[in-house]
Amino acid sequence: MKGLVLAEWTKFRSVRAMPMLAAAVVVVSALFGWLFAQASAAEYVQATAAEQAAFDPLQGGFRGIFIVQVLVAALGALVASTEYGFGTIRATVAAAGRRTRLVAAKAALVAAVGLVVGAAAVLVMFLVSQTTLAMLGVPRVWLDDPAAVRMLLLGPGVLELVALFGLTLGITLRSTASAVNTGTAFLLLPVLSTIMPKLLGDFLITWWPNTAAFRPLLSPEDSLPLWAGMGVLSAFVTVMMVSARIRFRTRDV
Amino acid sequence: MFSESRRVSRLDGAGSQRSHRNIQNASNLAGQGGGMIRLDALTKRYGEVCAVDGLTFDVRPGLVTGFLGPNGAGKTTTMRMILGLDLPTSGTVTILGRRYQELEAPLRTVGSLLEAQALHPRRTARDHLLYLARSNGLPDRRVGEVLELVGLADAAGKRAGGFSLGMCQRLGIAAALLGDPEVLLLDEPVNGLDPEGVLWIRTLLRDLAAEGRTVLVSSHLMSEMAVTADRLVVIGRGRLIAEGGIGEFTGAATEVLVRVSEGAGFGARLELAGAHVRTRGDELVVTGMTAPDIGRLAAAEGVVLAELSPRRASLEDTFMELTRDSVEFGGVR
Repeated sequence: MKGLVLAEWTKFRSVRAMPMLAAAVVVVSALFGWLFAQASAAEYVQATAAEQAAFDPLQGGFRGIFIVQVLVAALGALVASTEYGFGTIRATVAAAGRRTRLVAAKAALVAAVGLVVGAAAVLVMFLVSQTTLAMLGVPRVWLDDPAAVRMLLLGPGVLELVALFGLTLGITLRSTASAVNTGTAFLLLPVLSTIMPKLLGDFLITWWPNTAAFRPLLSPEDSLPLWAGMGVLSAFVTVMMVSARIRFRTRDV
Repeated sequence: MFSESRRVSRLDGAGSQRSHRNIQNASNLAGQGGGMIRLDALTKRYGEVCAVDGLTFDVRPGLVTGFLGPNGAGKTTTMRMILGLDLPTSGTVTILGRRYQELEAPLRTVGSLLEAQALHPRRTARDHLLYLARSNGLPDRRVGEVLELVGLADAAGKRAGGFSLGMCQRLGIAAALLGDPEVLLLDEPVNGLDPEGVLWIRTLLRDLAAEGRTVLVSSHLMSEMAVTADRLVVIGRGRLIAEGGIGEFTGAATEVLVRVSEGAGFGARLELAGAHVRTRGDELVVTGMTAPDIGRLAAAEGVVLAELSPRRASLEDTFMELTRDSVEFGGVR
């Protein structure tokens, strides 16, 4: 089992595209942190006093996380889908023998990479966005803010789960294009909630697996409790993982 | 050639303790009338299409077994099932009495080459082997050893995307040899190799078998198997057509060419006498009866022969003869 995880890591680091994508996630996080801080600051300046009083610097600075999660899911998907694309999956499966162990090894790698990349992305987005807000003379939060600490501690875990979700799509759909497209559509669906009938929109915002976990970190006043939100995403990823494992075990490669 | 063979032995010598035990194991199993690889009514159906149809045979240690059949006969599907990649619709296949998926570190028991070109184009040859080695807990140094063995040491750091088919085949064979396995499964390993490479593979396979390993090599070229294999398993349309030592195949279909100058219906008369007759232009191609017997029959019938020439069928002819039905008439057999 240890060997299989090491093998997955060897595969990951030996093709430059993978570490590059991981690095890109962090760079994009910095970029969106800066961009959305700028946008939030511009809105703040033109807002009424009441709106200014309700301004949440953390939420303003983290709007870009919805794009970052898509990249993180793609990273997870690629760990499986590129193997199908180039046909190396057959050598990999033949070398692993027991398929359940192979799924576990891939999940272990994606969990580790997802956590590290997620932690870097959240930290960078926090630092860049809040520094930008400060420089523009707009209220900002810092490490003494409990919401900020919660985001820095739990945000990486949410991104890790999103990466694992991507992996399950890669394993099940066996193609980079369909795994990435499906993952993107799934994760961004709640963005459309504003143009949906209110009932459906509210449901998506509250219960859709990724928003269920992100919202308690960003706007806890109108979302599920933190534990419930995390639970929804964890349960969803677990179901996806079990179904991916079952399909992987019983299909020809 | 000889230097190659010595290299195989030397590598084997590095882990000789284990290898020796493996070979003992192998002969024990063979002694019990078992093969290292054992297929039992193995069947694979894709919807209506039956790719492999009730295949039963053993692959023995210490020999190169040629797995022959025309394209689409089911060779690759069979090999995938042996490797646990495709799951059989029914029937079983075992390696050393165990299902492939139950092997603890599969590469230490079975080395395989399926699709040589299934490589990530941006990954180097060394990294490709490194990940496979690590997945089975093999030491990293094995990578250098097998690269040396297949003659790819200079290309170790090059990306597989720039490899010729021949280099991919060599890399695939390096991967198969990583775990110093006692069973080797190679699907069309000579494809894309230059004459020197073909000769190299031939020698390598013979050496590996001579060390007591079980070697199963698929091919659609009888001529190649004629010089490489000790035993043949011939399939067509997913079914077993023939199985046996290579010698049994060359003798099997000795033909006699007969041309009749006077006397109609001699072909029918020969068939009546128990021969198998095919008509080719004005010639009769007779199998199942010797030339002297045919001559005697002709004399007795008052038939005048213009030609009577025995022709020892080449292995290639035998193969064509054996697989003709399965290629042309789809499943009539």
